[in-house]
Amino acid sequence: MQAVGVNYTRPDVYGKISGKAVYPDDIEFEGMLYAGVKRSTIAYGKVLSINIDEIKQLPGVEYVIDYTMIPGAISHGVIFKDIPILVKDIVKRIGDCLILIVTNDKESLKNALKQVKVEYEEYEGVFTVDDALKEDAPIIGDGSNILYDIKIKAGNIDEGFKEALHITENLYCSQMTEHAFLQPEAAVACYDDDGTLKVYVATQYPHYDREEVARCLNVSEDKVKIINTTIGGAFGAREDINPQCHAAIATYISKKPVKVLYTREESIISHSKRHPMKMHYKTGVTKDGKLCALKARIYGDTGAYASWGMNVLRKAAVHATGPYVIPNVDIQALAVYTNNPYSGAMRGFGATQVPLASESQMDILAEKLNMHPLKFRYINSFEVGSNTATGQKLVSSVGIKKCIEKIAEIAEIKL
Amino acid sequence: MIEVTLKINGKMYTRKINPMLRLIDFIRDEIKLKGTKEGCGEGECGACTVIMNGKTVNSCLVLAASANGAEITTIEGLSNGDHLHPIQEAFIEVGAVQCGYCIPGMILSTKALLDENLDATEAQIKEGISGNLCRCTGYTKIVEGVKIAQKKIINSQEGD
Amino acid sequence: MKKRGVGFASIFYGTGYGNGFPDESRATAEIKEDGSIIIYVGVSDVGSGGLSIMWQIAIETLGVNKEFVKIKHNNTSMMHDSGTAAASRQTYNTGNAVLDACSKLKKNMMLASEEVTNLKVLYKQMVTKRIETRVEGYFKATTKEVNLETGQGNPYWPYTFGAQMVTVEVDDETGKVDILDIVSVNDAGKIVNPVLAAGQAIGGCAMGIGYAIMEEVFVNKGEIKNRNFSNYIIPTSKDVPNIKSYFVEDIEGTGPYGAKGLGEPVMIPTAPAIINAIYDAVGVRIYDLPATCDKVLLAIKNNA
Ligand code: FES
Ligand code: FES
Repeated sequence: MQAVGVNYTRPDVYGKISGKAVYPDDIEFEGMLYAGVKRSTIAYGKVLSINIDEIKQLPGVEYVIDYTMIPGAISHGVIFKDIPILVKDIVKRIGDCLILIVTNDKESLKNALKQVKVEYEEYEGVFTVDDALKEDAPIIGDGSNILYDIKIKAGNIDEGFKEALHITENLYCSQMTEHAFLQPEAAVACYDDDGTLKVYVATQYPHYDREEVARCLNVSEDKVKIINTTIGGAFGAREDINPQCHAAIATYISKKPVKVLYTREESIISHSKRHPMKMHYKTGVTKDGKLCALKARIYGDTGAYASWGMNVLRKAAVHATGPYVIPNVDIQALAVYTNNPYSGAMRGFGATQVPLASESQMDILAEKLNMHPLKFRYINSFEVGSNTATGQKLVSSVGIKKCIEKIAEIAEIKL
Repeated sequence: MIEVTLKINGKMYTRKINPMLRLIDFIRDEIKLKGTKEGCGEGECGACTVIMNGKTVNSCLVLAASANGAEITTIEGLSNGDHLHPIQEAFIEVGAVQCGYCIPGMILSTKALLDENLDATEAQIKEGISGNLCRCTGYTKIVEGVKIAQKKIINSQEGD
Repeated sequence: MKKRGVGFASIFYGTGYGNGFPDESRATAEIKEDGSIIIYVGVSDVGSGGLSIMWQIAIETLGVNKEFVKIKHNNTSMMHDSGTAAASRQTYNTGNAVLDACSKLKKNMMLASEEVTNLKVLYKQMVTKRIETRVEGYFKATTKEVNLETGQGNPYWPYTFGAQMVTVEVDDETGKVDILDIVSVNDAGKIVNPVLAAGQAIGGCAMGIGYAIMEEVFVNKGEIKNRNFSNYIIPTSKDVPNIKSYFVEDIEGTGPYGAKGLGEPVMIPTAPAIINAIYDAVGVRIYDLPATCDKVLLAIKNNA
């Protein structure tokens, strides 16, 4: 083959090594304004008042925008449209966007944001999955604190455990983590010569951004252009909307180019996080070293908004077995709302959390069997024709045994 | 407002500035050299690294006023027209670049390191770039790139 | 005393949106008057090299010199929707759409002239013969929604696989874990660009190291306490060993030239392999990530 399998030099590298690659903060226009949002400092409650009139009088302030001034939809979301672009009254997490301030220079923006005073009526929030599942817990979600509940059942779990020579049962916990890409979010909006509103942003999905910007401006999608600049890392955190709609609304109202630029702090506060998970695992193995049963209960703290919570917990459930044949399974995974920062997409998307449990269980059982942990994995791993826990037959390209063989070859381990 | 003069990539720039203006803002907003990046604003990530009087500094931590009279190299000053610096060539060759946001700072830290110690060992290289965070590459290929750059520079010096 | 240990982990990873969610990619291929071929495709290159992958698939399919092929990928008014740069789906899904568009264009080019020597001349021949110079490519992944009560169904396709071996050194007086070596082996089908793929694999391990022993967002009553790199600590060059990456290429027939996605799965085995290696080194098992010095030291003390 001429090009596939060949180490072509990536075409975008020259800009990147010379400092010429353009990230959103590198874009400037004549007469450009700066915009930023005041974010909620409480996790749950009602906004009673904001000193908007005072802010309007501050030096350099051109516009103060609240939710009533958004021409279209006032919220966004990859599946459910539940994340406020600007809050109407209820805040559900620290970092919810309250008002958008537009100024004619960076310094005035910083100053104006500092002067915003918000009065809240604070509610008792929920901050753990256990509390959120209590009967009398405040309801953070849409009618329930359970965003998603999926079960995977195959074979007969009780019979499966009866076949087991060894059983191990443990609780595993994974933490909340942050994408920490190096380029903080930024967006620049302006009107193009043809009258469309153009947003320069570093995004994982420009067409989705176009849809959300058009929705909040109440215009058709062909009146919006998203220009995807060079992207300074993403890892999932650039899937939800962040500065896009704010920049677009500010330009729509001011008719001028507007830049929104996050500090690192704002970046960390604003975007999604990796779901922290609690994973109860009970795994059984037969005397021949074959996995025979798995019972797993997985709880993901999905925070205040849905984002990709359903999909993340589904992915956790589907991958709960690890790459192994287990004929009898009883898996349940729940995504649970709390007033924590919202969880969403991050590299591996639910399938990154569960192997802490499944792969630790593998080592524990291998030790009980007195078998090399790599060999134990090898004899249980999928091959072409295997069924996964969801009953899916793997028909092609099942390279797990080859991967393990390669490791064994390097480590000189007999499988 | 105070007047400062900085020599950036061999050119003199005189500007009247707010005494609190950071060096990174001077470079990006006053001189419009956008290759220097801001990742954290508090001296932790190294994306804003420039070379000042031969030593690397985090330009987010330096006031432009305190750099008055200094000689500064940014990423734009590294290549000579279309002619890339050996470090840049090496980074391309080994595939050391992914999103690219850390790369200007990483290249300048590498340059300062190799200017001082062209024979830096692997441990010294890792130390030398440890102030530059990269979330994409896992550093292995960057370190490989630095080693290739060392060879390239040594070879070119022998050729002289 | 510093004690060494080795740990293993293996994983599978379903790529794509999955679960029957419409997972579509589109691409347009056009030959221009000046003899260049432009591929319009909504691939977002987050740093992972997606742009290069689309370019290479296009060049391979068209069988022309790489100088003639350009990718336009950053303006929504110029390209159709190709979905997210996520779910490790760009190489497989969007790559397939590029393959489709380029195969069609190639067919049209062959219709105009059996032998392609000069693309400018070919363009003229295509116009004279009224052959389409601009064609659309499309790909939709096939998955099936799972039943919420039984979980039965075909939630993802294709699956990528991986295994890692990690060597650690644990200081049993301080609980500090050093990662000495990582071997990462992945099956992502045919590898389109080996250097870029290795870059993904190695970067994934580094993120996995952070996940295993360093990183945690501290939240108190909904408030994030560590909001910058001074207290949200990610791996530096000194925390990451020289990682060795290998690929076993188990070709996937439905992938472009046999390729599958790999951006995410490459990070997954690292953390559990480190946890297993810590156990191998000092005989304690950490059930809560991250395995910080404090946690490891406490576990060692409790074990004594
Ligand atoms: S921006 Fe200066 S060190 Fe991060
Ligand atoms: S290449 Fe993305 S941060 Fe280094």
